[in-house]
Amino acid sequence: MREKPKLSREFARFIKFMISEIKPRPPYFTPFNMITIPIILLGMVILVFRFSKGLGAVTNLSQEFPWGFWIGFDVITGVALAGGAYVITFIVYVMRVEKYHPIANVVVLNGFLAYVFYAGALILDLGRPWNIINPIIGNSFGFNSVMFLVAWHFLMYMAAEFIEFSPVVAEWLGWEKVKKWLSAITLGAVIFGITLSSLHQSGLGALFLMAKAKIHPLWYSEFIPILFFASSIFAGLAMVIMEGTISHRVLKDHIDPDHHASHDEIITGLAKYAAVAVFVYYFFKLLTFLHNKQWTMLDDFWGFWYILEVVGFVLIPGCLFAFGAKYKNVNIIRVGSILAIVGIILNRLNMSIIAFKWDAPVKYYPSWQEIVVTLMIISIEIWAFRWVVSRMPVMRKIGRK
Amino acid sequence: MESYYYVNIFETKGLEYLLLMAFLVLLVLLFRYFKAPDSPKPK
Repeated sequence: MREKPKLSREFARFIKFMISEIKPRPPYFTPFNMITIPIILLGMVILVFRFSKGLGAVTNLSQEFPWGFWIGFDVITGVALAGGAYVITFIVYVMRVEKYHPIANVVVLNGFLAYVFYAGALILDLGRPWNIINPIIGNSFGFNSVMFLVAWHFLMYMAAEFIEFSPVVAEWLGWEKVKKWLSAITLGAVIFGITLSSLHQSGLGALFLMAKAKIHPLWYSEFIPILFFASSIFAGLAMVIMEGTISHRVLKDHIDPDHHASHDEIITGLAKYAAVAVFVYYFFKLLTFLHNKQWTMLDDFWGFWYILEVVGFVLIPGCLFAFGAKYKNVNIIRVGSILAIVGIILNRLNMSIIAFKWDAPVKYYPSWQEIVVTLMIISIEIWAFRWVVSRMPVMRKIGRK
Repeated sequence: MESYYYVNIFETKGLEYLLLMAFLVLLVLLFRYFKAPDSPKPK
């Protein structure tokens, strides 16, 4: 009988707390806000047209090119760049390398938001978006489809990442008992998440196995799933390095001083892992190149384009990671990270758009509306990230405000 | 019957084996590069 007033008091406290937290906080007129607010508003207007008049009203998609920029960039590239979450949680929770523990929460948050927004962007690209629930509820499961695996994995991975991040939410809400319980199940969620991640990173590559005749031979190989998985490791690490660099400049008030001091050491350590991952990926890439005897294809535009990708944006960043890690030069590592991120974007866009139906008489180019909606998704994700980091104890220890 | 040359590096997949061996050697060298004591920072 005594529980009821206590529960209602707690509920009232929760509502009051949430209202105070949801309110925007100054400064309001920052350059980031001034740039992103018009993009978000314009993107919203475009989405109204997309859902009321159909995909054809705002995109350059057609029967010949049913997959465009939203799939190629938002989903295929976005998921690869979100690979940092499973790599870092593996290093911290499974390998027990405590040095990287300070960045575990923020990386998981980034991964979670990336999946919510970039994988969520799938809904925009579905002609009948209400059918997205079909693989989950069993209406034509489609067990044989790679899409079935990807759909389930995205959903379960988002749940696993939310569980991994939930102790931070519980701490923010002041729910100590719940936090203790959630912390106890984190390891299980991490292991589950890593398993899912390694499978759906390669699963996204497996989607392209069905398009052998459509992808340029320099990019097509039976080992695309392995290449996608291997490249997601260094892509994720490069993204973690860049996000960490930006966060340490822009959100420095929300970062623990100890974490701030160890930032360069963490980046140097991550660069070592990234260098090894690039090295392994490069070996697979060379192996498929030699196996398929593709050196005869290097003397035209596509050959040069391929060399630019694998040398300029894979080999060079790999060397920069190794050199920067060896000499503890963070700036070199940052340059390597930018090049690696560009390389992954280029690789995924080559697979899904640029070298896809490379010999077709009519080519696909994204419309300006597709690009604005993509920028809108990225902007909203950064807004959500900033909101969470400025309110929850993501980058600071318990008890420090 | 198709003729088969054991000395053909392409037919025997010798090239792939050579690459694999080079990869393992280079991987060891990469780890040694990281483990070696720090050299002075280049200017």
